[in-house]
Amino acid sequence: MQLALSAGAPASSAPLQPVREGGRQAGSGGVVTDEVGRQVAIPREVNRIVTLAPDLTETIYALGLEDKLAGDTNYCETPPAAKRKPHIGAPLNPSLEAIVALHPDLVLASTSINRRETVDALARLGIAVYASNPHTVSGMLESVRRMSELMGASAKGEALVVPLQARLDVLRMRLGELPLVHVLFVVWQEPLISIGQRTFIADALRWAGAESVVLSDQNWPRISFEEVVRLQPDYIVFTSNHTADAATQLADLRARAGWKGLRAVELGQVAVVSDEVARPSPGMIDAIEQLAREVHREAFSLRSANGGFDSERGGRSPRLVAAKEGCVSCAH
Amino acid sequence: MRPLTPARVLGVCAQLFGVLFVLVVISLRMGAYPIGVRDIVVTLFNGALGRAEQIPMEFSLVVFGLRLPRIALGILVGAALSTAGAGFQALLRNPLADPYVLGVSSGAALGAIVSLIVLPFTPGAVQVAAFAGAAATIGAVYFLGRRGRQLDSATLLLAGIVTASFLSAVIMFLMTILSSRDLRGMAFWLMGDLSSAPAVDLRLLYLVLIVAAGSIYTTSSDLNLILTGEQEARHLGVNVNRVKFVVYVGASLLTGLAVSVSGAIGYVGLLVPHVMRMLFGTDYRLLIPASAIGGAIIVVAADLLARTIVAPTELPVGAMTAIAGAPVFIYLMRRRVR
Amino acid sequence: MSAAEQNRAAVATPQPGAATRTIRVRLKVEQVSFAYSPTDRFAPTFTLGPASFEAHPHELVAILGPNASGKSTLLRLLAGLAKPLAGRVEVDGEEVGSLDLRTRAKRIALVQQESELLFPLRVWEYVLQGRYPHGRRLRFESDNDCLMVGNSLGQVGAEALRDRWMHELSGGEKQRVILARALTQQPSLLLLDEPTQHLDIGGKVELLQRLRRLADETRHTVLVVTHELDLAAEFSDRIVLLHKGKCLRVGTPAQVYERELLEEVFAAPLEVEMRPGGRPRVVLRGDR
Repeated sequence: MQLALSAGAPASSAPLQPVREGGRQAGSGGVVTDEVGRQVAIPREVNRIVTLAPDLTETIYALGLEDKLAGDTNYCETPPAAKRKPHIGAPLNPSLEAIVALHPDLVLASTSINRRETVDALARLGIAVYASNPHTVSGMLESVRRMSELMGASAKGEALVVPLQARLDVLRMRLGELPLVHVLFVVWQEPLISIGQRTFIADALRWAGAESVVLSDQNWPRISFEEVVRLQPDYIVFTSNHTADAATQLADLRARAGWKGLRAVELGQVAVVSDEVARPSPGMIDAIEQLAREVHREAFSLRSANGGFDSERGGRSPRLVAAKEGCVSCAH
Repeated sequence: MRPLTPARVLGVCAQLFGVLFVLVVISLRMGAYPIGVRDIVVTLFNGALGRAEQIPMEFSLVVFGLRLPRIALGILVGAALSTAGAGFQALLRNPLADPYVLGVSSGAALGAIVSLIVLPFTPGAVQVAAFAGAAATIGAVYFLGRRGRQLDSATLLLAGIVTASFLSAVIMFLMTILSSRDLRGMAFWLMGDLSSAPAVDLRLLYLVLIVAAGSIYTTSSDLNLILTGEQEARHLGVNVNRVKFVVYVGASLLTGLAVSVSGAIGYVGLLVPHVMRMLFGTDYRLLIPASAIGGAIIVVAADLLARTIVAPTELPVGAMTAIAGAPVFIYLMRRRVR
Repeated sequence: MSAAEQNRAAVATPQPGAATRTIRVRLKVEQVSFAYSPTDRFAPTFTLGPASFEAHPHELVAILGPNASGKSTLLRLLAGLAKPLAGRVEVDGEEVGSLDLRTRAKRIALVQQESELLFPLRVWEYVLQGRYPHGRRLRFESDNDCLMVGNSLGQVGAEALRDRWMHELSGGEKQRVILARALTQQPSLLLLDEPTQHLDIGGKVELLQRLRRLADETRHTVLVVTHELDLAAEFSDRIVLLHKGKCLRVGTPAQVYERELLEEVFAAPLEVEMRPGGRPRVVLRGDR
């Protein structure tokens, strides 16, 4: 029984389900190369999508394509409506059968959380899987744009990405030549784990005018507290899924031995940012702006329009005025 | 006084095969994709007759692409681990021996990790590298476990334990200095997981299973004698060195095979031989085939539970065997003390 | 010449009338010697031999000597477990070292002290294992094999133990069962290494009587390694006396038991009394 014992998909000849059309032969959607170098045959019409990662689900909703979303993972909670979609399991170990049962035209996977084995297994079943591999914020936007093309929603993609890119550009101008704020980004407090220079979050930080003080190539380096004392970061940043708000977090640190002696804690420079900053999805831009506003308060205060305050930091008022005029989202 | 006869061996095997068959049928029926028994039967029937065109595509996908291969893999792994466990228990003269005690699984894990670092995107590289790691460990422990020119059970056990510890330390070191992205799959691998399809054709793997398990089976009379004492066995004419070599290589090969394709599924190799002993006696001429089929039953059952209990989330099968295995182990221990 | 040197020059003298009988030789040990060194680089720390003697069917031969005299080594050579440095050991005309393992097991049975069983086993299963040398590699026992088991158990007086668990037996019972397994091999030669070690005097006598009966009634030749002077004298047909690796004398108990010889070998004050029937008795000399 050839079929049973070899793990490959059977040769297709009965065109019963849409998924088959894109399976082996190139549909007129074409063959594209996904972001990990795989060749994927995209069906001409993509009406049913399954996402394997929360950030991809968010992207789908941000693109306004939620009607095409046939299923997502158990952990897709942003936006809340995603919780009501049919689930296919956990990102690390989804149920292949559940995916097949949803008859997807296209499955989206992300290297941020999915395994290669899952992608390979789905491909072997003849299902089109596109894997995104975002390393940077710009890369993520490009990925969103590409995925929107695949799904036949280029216009929506542009409508989403262009303003986001514009916001980033505005932010960059506003921050101008301000020196990068040195930040300790706390992934986990005990044991103390921060982020490496090559992570997504590090890139997001740079957009926010900040830089992680931890110089490591590992993704999640464990550092000793002594190292933190030596580095004396200007700001300590937590994500909101660990703590309620900055005031509480600051009070907690002020009560801890060691931490309370840090300059950042003494100055009250502790920030809590939305955990979106850790996810390669469109919502991350909000988080970046939020962080930028925190650590570069001066750049966002109304006084900056006069240029008075900024001359201390070396900023140039004409640029900042231009930034203020062009910036839509910094109304507050 | 009723000595063991071929008829009894075949009879017990037939009974166990019956149980396995029923389990396979149930397992084929259960899963996230809705497909009825009738459709399954029709699909199997048409598939067997080569009438692929008559099968609805998705049925074929689910039955032949997903469920049947997974069940076949489970049978392979269960049979391999249990036979290896029974073999090691005799070779090492230790009822607590399991297939991993000689470090084979640690070597395989190290191979897997190295392949994740070096070739993260090559499909199937993990399994091949794991098998290579297992093979290297088998060789190393063999040479360390010799005294003079013979395999000495106590020395072998020590050599295996030391090697396993050393390799585990290396693995831990690698895991701390590497990025989490590289190692995401390792957690599943370490626990034992049947969801990855084998890199090599399943038929070839079955061939290896049959050859290795068969070789061990040919020594089953010898093993019965060796279990009453190595010297005594020698005096009765058993070529103890040859038997030990065959069992060592065969059992290690079976372990390496199982671990490469499915990670380190625990408790199966340790407990199934003991349960079979309780049911059918300690004669290895019956114990080996009984353990093989019994192991297949256990793994298929555990995998069935693992993929349906909290559907659509799939638990790794090793988690299931561990949860069920620990109480069974305790029960067996207490029975021995009696 | 000292008494010791005289003794060393002594050889077995044939029984009167032996030259006229044609006795089948079961075991022939010719000038066998052995040297043991812990590793290849060191000089041998222990040597045995040369030793020569013969044994015939229905004979019970005692290999006698104090501790560390080489008795066990000699036994191992007889069993084919070690190769002699020089000389030959022949059983039924064939050199022991040249036999393959299974054939050797069919000729020679070495009865061990008891050993730990890993898993529970019934007595009949244990004894049935003695049939191993007689079949193919992977075999299932036949009715004939089961018959042999019954016979063996009968010969050692253990039929009642047949369905018991091995681990539930007493020491004496276990020993009988182990002997039964050896008998199931249907060997020509039965070798026992210090079988009376853990037995009390009643047990010792019972065992030797059984061995004696086996030698008399069946075609076995029994060789017993022992240091028990009295038992050897009472039950054996022939004694091989060893001392520090040297084979000092071979002969009947009467021929071997000379006071000076025994005193030198066993380093104890001894007295040898000859009893009616030709068998000597050894007693401790009580003066001093």
